[in-house]
Amino acid sequence: MTRDRIKNLIIEIIQDIDEDAVTDNLNPDEQLRDQLDLDSMDFLDIVMELRKRYKLQIPEEDYPQFATLNSCVDYLEPKLKDF
Amino acid sequence: MRDYNLVVIGGGLSGLAAAIRYARFDSSVLVLERHSKPGGLNSFYWRQGLLLETGLHAMTNYASLADRHAPLNLLLRQLKLSRKKMSFHEQKRSLIRFPDKSLSFSNDPEYLLAEIAVKFPHDIDRFRSLISEFRDYPALSTDNRRLSARSYLEDRLTDPFLIDMLLLPLMMYGNSSEHDMDLDLFIILFRSIFLEGLFRPRGTIKDFLDLLLDHYRSLGGEIRFQSEVAEVLTSGNGATGVKLASGEEVYCGNLVSTVGGPATFRLLPAAVNKEMIAGRISFFESIYILPGKSRHKLKDNGNTNIFYSLKDDFVFQRPDQAIDPSWGVINFPGNFQNLPESDNFQVRLTHAANYEVWQGYSREEYREMKVSWAEKSREAVAPLIGNFYDDVVLEDFFTPLTVEKFTAKDRGAVYGSPFKIKDGRTPYDNLYIAGTDQGLIGIVGSMLSGVTMVNKHILLYKAPVL
Repeated sequence: MTRDRIKNLIIEIIQDIDEDAVTDNLNPDEQLRDQLDLDSMDFLDIVMELRKRYKLQIPEEDYPQFATLNSCVDYLEPKLKDF
Repeated sequence: MRDYNLVVIGGGLSGLAAAIRYARFDSSVLVLERHSKPGGLNSFYWRQGLLLETGLHAMTNYASLADRHAPLNLLLRQLKLSRKKMSFHEQKRSLIRFPDKSLSFSNDPEYLLAEIAVKFPHDIDRFRSLISEFRDYPALSTDNRRLSARSYLEDRLTDPFLIDMLLLPLMMYGNSSEHDMDLDLFIILFRSIFLEGLFRPRGTIKDFLDLLLDHYRSLGGEIRFQSEVAEVLTSGNGATGVKLASGEEVYCGNLVSTVGGPATFRLLPAAVNKEMIAGRISFFESIYILPGKSRHKLKDNGNTNIFYSLKDDFVFQRPDQAIDPSWGVINFPGNFQNLPESDNFQVRLTHAANYEVWQGYSREEYREMKVSWAEKSREAVAPLIGNFYDDVVLEDFFTPLTVEKFTAKDRGAVYGSPFKIKDGRTPYDNLYIAGTDQGLIGIVGSMLSGVTMVNKHILLYKAPVL
């Protein structure tokens, strides 16, 4: 999966989690949580969706990698290269 | 050998929430419900063609759509239930009434603050700082500590009346201990009732349960009714499944029990089957249906609830006699904002009751006592709302025995055991407790309990630092 597709995938998952999330004009280097006003409980859903869709096992110590859109892409790029 | 990845014991609101949360990511989940209907404590039945609700007076934790971090909105997101498909009715207002003082509250905390400023001016500043302390309090504490709400309030407020008036509605709506209340529970209920507020979903509790069940099934989850669990099957430190009363065995990877602490422990092998204390707080409730036009005969009929004490020294405890009508709650379920016109008006009276006294009656006595204690209950509230009995077209009564029979609550203790298992853990690695005995109360609270326990223990969640 290309970096762009991974980025779109994350946005798609966020929109799926929260129908009211405003995902236009997200700054890829800023904290997702602050920009989207999501609760920490919502972030588990991103990890769970990735597990459900791509069978990715993401250990808890890697959760901080989901802080920004760019850090998500960096983290997921090698894991999603075969999709 | 595994039939399901997750089995949930109990199809009440915490069980359905736990199952929906899990089914969002894995459809291998089964709910086992003892009765033929879902809902547990918050269910319904029919009388003379009318649907009557059990349990539900009002839901707590009202939040506007914009308040994204409020428990209600968080819960709906976690379950992937669209708030846009639901419609909620807020309470009109409620009254806390003691012999010489009364306080009104609505879903706007400023209204309660204004009331306290007038009636308890010497404590208003202290009350304001109390509220700001509560706002920042972590909502989902899973710490097993136990602190006294009374001592906490006595350290911060000076007027003992104000303390009792604040405690009465919160105790009525969720306290499982006598006299005092666990501080965590007090703060959770304070926020969910005084800061967030009371509401109900559109329609009946049946409509709400149908919505949850449809959603759960659409995610691929299964539910079986009339399927009582008789035993939890174990091997070493793990639970391997359940044995039903029919003898059938169902094997699973994880188990969530929502039938309460005492009832869950009774399902375990004898070696770990420690006797857990069932709660002593149970209630007697009477329901009266009046023609809509009789409504004007009732005093204070614009309130959603009237929490009252006829005595200055209100004591939250199990009475020695069958019921104690000197304090309780009067509920008018028709008094929510923007409800459709109804051709009847309902009154519900709820008082503390003594399970053992009700249990001691013979069949014949039990029937007579329901009628005679209901009469004493109406006499007690007559000075507050007037006499309405002549107009009643339908009446029905619940005792602690009714609650015990139709829900999993031991001794009819609707708020469960006073000993909460806040971390949800049991002697078995993959068996967890969710619902009332995990320490969260009310419909939103018990549903969040189901969600949180699944997140924390099964979806391997600890609040990530993000």
